[in-house]
Amino acid sequence: MKDFKLSKDQIKKLALSTIGFFVLVYVYLSFFLGPLNSNSDKMLATIAVLQDKVANSKNEMGKATNLERQAGTATTRFAALKALSPEGAPIAWFPPRMKAFFANQSIDKSTARLETSVAFTEPELAGWTRYNWMIELPQADYSTLGKAVAALENGEPLLSINRINIRALPEDPQFQQVSLTVSTAILKR
Amino acid sequence: MALHLNLLHEEQLQQRQRQRDPLKIGMMVLGTLGALMVTYYLWNAYKTLEIRNRLSQVEHDWAKVEPKVTAAQKRSAELNSIISTTKVLDGIIDTRFFWGPFLEKISRCVALNAQLTSIEGNILDDKVVVAIDGLAAGREPRAAAEELRQLLLEQLGPGYKDVKVEFKTLEDLDTIVKIGGANMAMAHFAINVSFSTGAAKAKPAAPAPRVRTPKE
Repeated sequence: MKDFKLSKDQIKKLALSTIGFFVLVYVYLSFFLGPLNSNSDKMLATIAVLQDKVANSKNEMGKATNLERQAGTATTRFAALKALSPEGAPIAWFPPRMKAFFANQSIDKSTARLETSVAFTEPELAGWTRYNWMIELPQADYSTLGKAVAALENGEPLLSINRINIRALPEDPQFQQVSLTVSTAILKR
Repeated sequence: MALHLNLLHEEQLQQRQRQRDPLKIGMMVLGTLGALMVTYYLWNAYKTLEIRNRLSQVEHDWAKVEPKVTAAQKRSAELNSIISTTKVLDGIIDTRFFWGPFLEKISRCVALNAQLTSIEGNILDDKVVVAIDGLAAGREPRAAAEELRQLLLEQLGPGYKDVKVEFKTLEDLDTIVKIGGANMAMAHFAINVSFSTGAAKAKPAAPAPRVRTPKE
């Protein structure tokens, strides 16, 4: 029993060894094992994310292929609607187009002027603008006008007539003075 | 019994004390622990290297797939945008009110003894409001105007919803007109027509065979 009694000097050394042990453990965990493990954890997380992405990529590509197939009609229709808006400022091409249209419908005199242009509220139509026009036909026969309006509505799907005003000409009641307020959806170019 | 003298007692004691030196034992324990820790660290480092290899392999796989996926995602977004835009545009197109068939229906109602002087139509929200002004002539000009109103109701009723055709004004005029060689009294009328655009849209149709005949 006497042999196991520690001297003051030995207790001091033992305390030093204990402190050394804790310092060693601290240094080992903080500067060696900790960073290594955290690095490998990060890499494992990245691997999981990337593997997930690679696995999903097949789905994504499959979906895109399916969507491409399903959107065939919509794409064609969209292209057709887009083609109704030629390049350039609408005020440059819309009035001549209306003039030519009514001339083809045997209404020689016609003028179209821009009233307002506003953005659509629907987020899907962010690339489109609504233009409001006033079309004046100072002399039109009623039946010709009716046919022209029907042809206009059928031929210009993005055009809608919001207001129509037909007045008989006092000096020539066979003809009418017509004004149309129309709005069109035109693609921003 | 022989006397046993240990003359090296002190030396042996010192040696035993040296062997039991706590610092030395501590250093040995620390050394052993250190060796274990280094081994464990090396083992972990080896595993980390393995993980790094796996990561570079996966990164390589992803780098091969990524451009295709990005392109597919971009195309999907583009197609979805096209689909939704087309849907909204189709909605606008489908909910338009067609004035052509409406004008044609009005033309069917007007006989020779009636003349429309103005038609003013407006679309207010989902309602169409039309103001029709005109003149009717006949022995009973008010009856001629009423017949026009009835005919308008009859023509517009099947094609549109919530149709209302009402006189705003109907008044006799002092003017006399000659129709077919006979003198006729005249009346001025203003008719308000309103209906909802929510009903099935009237399609452009061929002129109906029915034509109103003038009343003597």
